[in-house]
Amino acid sequence: MAGLAAANCRQNLAGPPAGGGGGDGSLHIYTWANYTDDGLAAAFTERTGIPVVIDIFDSNEVMLTRLQAGGGDAYSIIYPSDYMVSEMIDLGLLTELDKERLSGLENLKAKWRNPAYDPDNAHSVPFCWGTTGLLYNREAVPGTPTDWDFLWKNQAALSRRITMLDDMRETLGATLKSLGYSYNSNNPAEIEAAYKRLLELRPDIAAFKTTGFENELLGGDLSVSMAYSSDAIALTLEDNRMEYIIPASGASLWTDTLAIPATAPNPDAAYQWINFLLEPEVASAAVKRLLFATANQAAFDRLPAEIQGNEDLYPSEAILAKSEGIVAVDTASTDLFDQFWTKVTSA
Amino acid sequence: MREWGDEGMGGWGEIRILTAFAFLTLPTFLTLPTFLTLPTFLTLPMAPISSPKIPWAERLAPRRWLGPVVMLGPAGVWLLLLLVLPTLLILEISLVPGLRLGQPSGGYGLGNYLQILQPVYLRVIGRSLSFAVGSTLLCLVLGFPVAYWLALMSPQRWRNLLLVGFILPLWTSSLLRAYAWTAILRPSGVLNTIFTAVGLPAQAWLNTPTAVFIGLTYSFLPYMVLILYASLEKLDTRLLEAAADLGATPFQGFWKITIPQVLPGIAAGSLLVFISTLGDFVVPTLLGGASSMNISRLIYNQFLGPTRAWGFGSALSMLLILAVSLSIALLLRYGDKSTVTEPS
Amino acid sequence: MPAARPVTWPSLFSALMYAFMYFPIIVLGVYSFNDSRYSASWEGFSLRWYKSLFSDRRLLSALQDSLTIAIVAVSISAVLGTLMAVGLARYRFRGRGLYRGVSYLPLIVPDIAIAVATLVFLASVAIPLSLGTIIAAHMVFCLAYIAVVVSSRLQQLDPNLEEAALDLGATPTQALLKVLIPQLAPGIIAGCLLAFVLSMDDLLISSFTAGGGANPLPIEIFSRVRTGVKPDINALSVVLILGSALLAGLAEYVRYWGDRRQRQAQ
Repeated sequence: MAGLAAANCRQNLAGPPAGGGGGDGSLHIYTWANYTDDGLAAAFTERTGIPVVIDIFDSNEVMLTRLQAGGGDAYSIIYPSDYMVSEMIDLGLLTELDKERLSGLENLKAKWRNPAYDPDNAHSVPFCWGTTGLLYNREAVPGTPTDWDFLWKNQAALSRRITMLDDMRETLGATLKSLGYSYNSNNPAEIEAAYKRLLELRPDIAAFKTTGFENELLGGDLSVSMAYSSDAIALTLEDNRMEYIIPASGASLWTDTLAIPATAPNPDAAYQWINFLLEPEVASAAVKRLLFATANQAAFDRLPAEIQGNEDLYPSEAILAKSEGIVAVDTASTDLFDQFWTKVTSA
Repeated sequence: MREWGDEGMGGWGEIRILTAFAFLTLPTFLTLPTFLTLPTFLTLPMAPISSPKIPWAERLAPRRWLGPVVMLGPAGVWLLLLLVLPTLLILEISLVPGLRLGQPSGGYGLGNYLQILQPVYLRVIGRSLSFAVGSTLLCLVLGFPVAYWLALMSPQRWRNLLLVGFILPLWTSSLLRAYAWTAILRPSGVLNTIFTAVGLPAQAWLNTPTAVFIGLTYSFLPYMVLILYASLEKLDTRLLEAAADLGATPFQGFWKITIPQVLPGIAAGSLLVFISTLGDFVVPTLLGGASSMNISRLIYNQFLGPTRAWGFGSALSMLLILAVSLSIALLLRYGDKSTVTEPS
Repeated sequence: MPAARPVTWPSLFSALMYAFMYFPIIVLGVYSFNDSRYSASWEGFSLRWYKSLFSDRRLLSALQDSLTIAIVAVSISAVLGTLMAVGLARYRFRGRGLYRGVSYLPLIVPDIAIAVATLVFLASVAIPLSLGTIIAAHMVFCLAYIAVVVSSRLQQLDPNLEEAALDLGATPTQALLKVLIPQLAPGIIAGCLLAFVLSMDDLLISSFTAGGGANPLPIEIFSRVRTGVKPDINALSVVLILGSALLAGLAEYVRYWGDRRQRQAQ
């Protein structure tokens, strides 16, 4: 019996998750923190009569695991980032979108009409974008950070006052960048060099955190946190001691998307949600409240000038040119990233 | 056993009975790990209904097997389905090197176990052990005087209430208690406010192993006190009086009479704290930051973290089960050699 | 031992340890009234975190999920666990030791190991994660704890009572329901309370078996603590602590009541 189940297990673990669970009529959303709030959900429910249930994840990989481990038919809408969209398409986890049922795609900025990670937006709709940089407390750092290597140069002064993202590709990628390599290196020697460099910094890193450093930064317990621009901007507006920089050698440029899992319950509601968020009015109202950078040109046009002009949120083309998007690397490199990341976080 | 009956009805009393009972009947535990790996186990039906001592005719009578099936069947099936089978699955997966969610896997091998032997993971295991041993010792050192005072010196009238008072924090969310320590230990937190007020140097303990030791000790101290109390309460104080009459100093009396009598309690309490801290997840995660990856966090990361290496995670999980079983076995062996008296 | 002297070093030390146990709880309590958002320094008295707590639908629904899980899992386990304890005490059969051993497993195997095993199992048989899977997983340890507590109670009972009932013509089922169960009641209640508290507090097993929008309180708290806490979590702790103290008080009362009944019976 055990043998039978085990064989079955191996099969199930290797393939895409089985579907079959039914929806209860509500829209289940699996998203990053700070992308939706009760106001947005309530507005949608008022409009369509569909109740919204929101679950939060804090890294693409966690979301992927949940989806593969039996959660595949639990969510109608997920918010994977660019490289994860490619990976999930390869794994057969995403529904090919029926463009007939979408409206408002023409509102997208030109740049996101045909993104490299998902040509022609066949499986995903760009929702927002941003950079990954350093958020710091001006009064608590020696000098002014301009680049990633600030962390290494001031390691002793910043000891245990640094947090890095709890995200394998971002944090190892930033280290690769600080060495002058690409975020998407497939070269084992380069990846190993980044691993060794990150290991040097490791004893002085307080924690690997994707969110949750805010209070400690504001309270002065931390000095620098590697952060997503969408999380950092809120803090810089709240307290003028906080600064966000996009490192000079380049940052990662990410896009978070809306996608429908292949086994999603209630796909109708999912399409309605996407259409809802593509509406310029809805999107700009959400952006004003939640402060992420929208990929929607029509929504951007409706924003107040001070948000449009915020360089942290919408950096200039010159800065963007130095940055690069994270894309899926080959299997051997993924293995290396995995191994080194586990080692760095375990050391 | 008598005295348990009197206190066996309240929440704390039950925890006490439970822990005392569970740890005094250790021999049954010992049989587990061996059975789990024995191949015969697979062929044994889990809802055992045959009864060899009863003659055939009676055995066939419906009543004879109906009772056991009704009483033991449902729970047995449940434990089989959601505990035994899953554990065997983990064992199997741990033997598939490089098994990763969503990818086809190769054949069997010991690769996952060999991976544990890499220095970085051995350090994780060493760190887990040091957290467990350290906080067990701290709990013992801090808990013994409290249990001693509660059992032998506290005012009789208030004794129950005082014990409940010490255990009460156990009834609150362990997450929130660990979280409270982050507010205390952060550099700008309560502790440093107190420290600077009394002229001590400020400490940056949050996100260090020190914070983990404090958090673990705090979380499991009540269990230690509970078990030591149960043991000290049964102490035969007449022996101490006799020893004093014969000229023994209180110190001698303590070491030669008190300690040997409560040794089973000390062993049981230490084992409980050791096992719990070895597998603890919440405290190292919330208080330890980047510097205190332990085996529990490592397993968690393999399953719900970025790397999704389920095979490696399963191997670590089997290792943890083995470590826990081993510590119970060690206690039993130690118990046999020392003056531990077999409980009735 | 001489009669308790007023101040001895163990009593002083114990007082210190009591302070240690309650210090974090008091800190949470004080911060819950602090007006500051960043929790580090005192900025004046405020009840706003309590207001935001009671209007936080997400937390309230998480609490509801947790209560549903705990109540359902404990209720079913109370029946199955009691039957298991009685069955193990009553019947001798091949594999009894093994059965008993397996029933103790949840007490000793670390949560994380049980949690990952359950996740892998559910994934392998393609059962979608939901509130139901959390309940199923919680039942495993609830069963074990209730059975252990009931067994210990069972050992103190007079076996002659049940035999007497049988001799007087009661069927075994009647003897079980009318004689044995009432006597076991304090043990069953206590076991349920313990299982209830453990179920309400469980993070790991829930994390690995939750899905489909089910979001029990510990998962919600954990995610809030990790993603930056607003101090309404402090207010929540105070409410939960008061709730648990009430529950503990109730448990004490049950004990007191049981004691009295026992004394009257004698």
